[in-house]
Amino acid sequence: MIGLVAYLVFFLIVALIFAVAVLGLNLQWGFTGLFNAGVAGFLAIGAYTMAILTGPSREAVLGGYELPFAVGLLGAMLASGFAALVIGLITLRLRDEFLAVATFGIAVTIQLVCVNWEYVTGGTLGLISIPNPSRALADGPFAQNLIYLALVAVLAGLVFVGLERIVGAPWGRVLKAVREDETAAASLGKNPVRVRLEAFVLGCMLMGLSGALYVGFIGYVSPFDFLPIVTFQIWTMLIVGGSANNRGAILGALIVWAVWTGSGFVISKLVPPSVQAQSGAMQAVLIGLILVVTLLFRPRGLIGEKIAVSRHARD
Amino acid sequence: MIRRVRAAAAGLAAIAATFAMAGAASAVECPVKLGAVLPVSGPMGQVGERIAQTGQFAVELFNEAGGVKGCPVEYVLRDTQGQPTVGVDAAKSLVELEGVPALVGAISSGVSLPILTSVAVPSKVVQISCCSSSETFTQLAKEGKTDGLWFRTYATNRSQSAMAALLATKAGFKKTAVIYVNTDFGVGLANRFKEDVVKLGGGLGEVVAYNESQQSYRAEVTKALQGNPDSLFLIAFPVDGATITREWLALGGTDNLIVNNSLRSDDYFDAVGRQYLKNLIGYDSAQPRLPSVATFNELFEKRFDSPPNGPGLHSVFDAVTVTLLAMEQADELTGPAIRDAIRAVTKEGGTEVHPGPDGIRRAKELIAAGKPIRYVGATGALSFDENGDVQAPKMVWKLIDGKNTEVEYYSTEDIARLIAKLDN
Repeated sequence: MIGLVAYLVFFLIVALIFAVAVLGLNLQWGFTGLFNAGVAGFLAIGAYTMAILTGPSREAVLGGYELPFAVGLLGAMLASGFAALVIGLITLRLRDEFLAVATFGIAVTIQLVCVNWEYVTGGTLGLISIPNPSRALADGPFAQNLIYLALVAVLAGLVFVGLERIVGAPWGRVLKAVREDETAAASLGKNPVRVRLEAFVLGCMLMGLSGALYVGFIGYVSPFDFLPIVTFQIWTMLIVGGSANNRGAILGALIVWAVWTGSGFVISKLVPPSVQAQSGAMQAVLIGLILVVTLLFRPRGLIGEKIAVSRHARD
Repeated sequence: MIRRVRAAAAGLAAIAATFAMAGAASAVECPVKLGAVLPVSGPMGQVGERIAQTGQFAVELFNEAGGVKGCPVEYVLRDTQGQPTVGVDAAKSLVELEGVPALVGAISSGVSLPILTSVAVPSKVVQISCCSSSETFTQLAKEGKTDGLWFRTYATNRSQSAMAALLATKAGFKKTAVIYVNTDFGVGLANRFKEDVVKLGGGLGEVVAYNESQQSYRAEVTKALQGNPDSLFLIAFPVDGATITREWLALGGTDNLIVNNSLRSDDYFDAVGRQYLKNLIGYDSAQPRLPSVATFNELFEKRFDSPPNGPGLHSVFDAVTVTLLAMEQADELTGPAIRDAIRAVTKEGGTEVHPGPDGIRRAKELIAAGKPIRYVGATGALSFDENGDVQAPKMVWKLIDGKNTEVEYYSTEDIARLIAKLDN
C-alpha cells in the first residue's frame, strides 16, 4: 500500500511537470494557433539554466553559482523567454507548417548545442548533483517526494489559474481572433504579429519552467533528456486532453503519461517471462492503439474547447 | 513562512514514518524479485533485447540451482524505450510496486544516471549496470553521492586511455594527435588520454572532436595534422572512422595509427583498405583465459544456439549472477545489505565459484556453511573498486598480412598496476 502511494506521488510529480509544459503549448497552439514543434528545445534551455544557476561549482564548466531554487526557476523562465523572443522575432512571420519546420529545426539545433558546448552544458557527460530542495526539508524519499509534489502542484496550479485569467481576459479573446482569422483581427486594429509573439514567449517560458522543475527533481541533466520524442509526447498530451482548454491540457498530461508508463507495468504483469524481452514492441503498439482509439472517439480531445459566445449575443 | 514549511515537512515526515513502519515486516517472501530496466524498444532496442534475454538466462540458471534463499527468483523486466523519463518511472515502479531490492540497468549512461540519482540512491536500492561507460558515475561515487549502491560490470574508459597511452609510448611516438567521437564515451576517453600519454613520457598533438555521421571530416583532419604529429590516436566507430582514416592518409597523415576497440571490425578495415593499415595498432577488451568464461560460453550456446557475440552479454550475465549471489549471502533483502554482500562475494581470498547451476549450487553450499566465496564469471573475476567500477583484461591487436591478429595480452592485474602507476 505504501509502495503504491509512493509510486503515485512520484508519478504525479513527473506528470505535473509535463502538464506545465503542456499548458505552455496550449497557449501557443490551442489559443493562438502557433505550431511549435520545438518544445524539447525550450525545455532544454530551462533545464540547463536551472542546472547552471543552482548546481555546485565544477572545474572547466560554467556555473556552480549555487543560487536558491526559486532563483533557478525564475532564471530558467527568463532564459527560455529570451530565447523565444529572439527565435520568435525571426520565425513568427511564418505560418503553420512553415513555423513547425522552423521550430523543429531550432529544437534539434539546441539539442546539438547541448551536446557540443561543453563549457556550458558539460557536453555529453551532462551536469550532475543539481540540488533538490526537498532533500534538505525531510528525511526519506517518500516525505521528500511529497514535498516536491506539493511544490510542483502549487506551481502548476498557479500557472493554470493565471492562464485561465488571461485567456478569459480581452487579451485571450484577441488570441482566439488571431487564431481564427488574422486579417479580421488586424482590421479591428489588433496587431497580430505582436500578439503571436507575446503568446509564443509566454508559452516558452512555461516550457522553461517545466524543464527547470524536471532537473530540480531528477538532479541530473544531459542532452539525452531532450530528444525529439519529448516534443511528440507533449503534443500528444495536448491533443488527447483537448487543445484550447487548460483543464484538458492537465488531464491530457496525466492520462497520456499514465498510458505511456502504465502500459509497461501491464505488460510486465501479463507477458510470461520467457518472451518479456520482446515486449517492447507490444508496449509501443499498446500506446499507439490507446491514443488512436481516444482520437477516434473524442476527436476534439477528452475535454475540447468550450464554445464561447459573447454574453451580449444572447439578447 | 519558513516555520510553516518546516511544520509541513515535519508533518509529512511523520506520515511517511507511519507508512514505513507498517511495511517493516521482513521475512523473505517468495518469489524473490530482481528488477531489470533495459531498452527493449527504441533506438537501442535490438542490443537491449539480447541483453535482456541474457539477464533472463542468468536468472533461469540460478533458479535451476534452487533460487535465492529457497525461493524462485522472478525477473521483472521493464522497458526504458531509451528515454530517461520512461526509465526513471519504470525503475520507481519496480522499487515501489514490485518491491525489488536491486535493479539491473540501464544501458545508456543518460538513462542509468537519472535512475541512480532519483530512484536508486534515495530509495536505498542497489543498481548494477552491464553497459554504462560514462565517467560521471565514478565522479559521483567519489563525491560520495551514490552511497556505494552503484556497481557496473562493464570496464570503464579508464583502462582504455591507459592502454592507448601505453601503446603510443611503447612505440616511441613523440607527438600523438587525437581525433575523437563527440559522445560521453569519446570525450571521457580523449580527456583521460591527454593526461595519461604525458605521464608515460609521450607527447600530445592537436586533440579534435568530430560529430557522427558527416559526409566528410576534412576540417577535423586538417586541424589534427597541424604541428606534424608522428602518430594518431583515433577514437571512432567503423563508418565515420573509415572516412576519417582515408582523409587523414590522403592529406599526408602518418600511418602510425592507434585505434580504439570499436574499430576492430572488418567493415573498417575493408572501407579503408587493409594495405594502408600495416602500422595500425589497436587494443580491445580480452576475454580472460579462464575456465569460467568457457563455461559461460558453452551454457550460452546450448541455450541460444549461437555464441555470445554482442555487446553487454557477458557483463549483464555477471551483473545478474553476482547480484543474486549477494542476495543469497545477505542477511536480509534490502539494498544496503545486498550492497555489502556484493563486496563479500567478490572478495579476494574466497573460494572461487563459477557460472552455471553446478557452480551456483556449490556457492550456495559454501555460503550456507559460512565460508567466503569469490564469484569468477563470464567476464572473469569481478573486483569492484571503491567506486563500483571494474577492470577487464586487455589485448593488443594488429593486422598481420591483412589478418586481425592478437599480439599481446594484459591480465586484469597488469591493467590494475598500469592504472595505479598513472593515478599516483
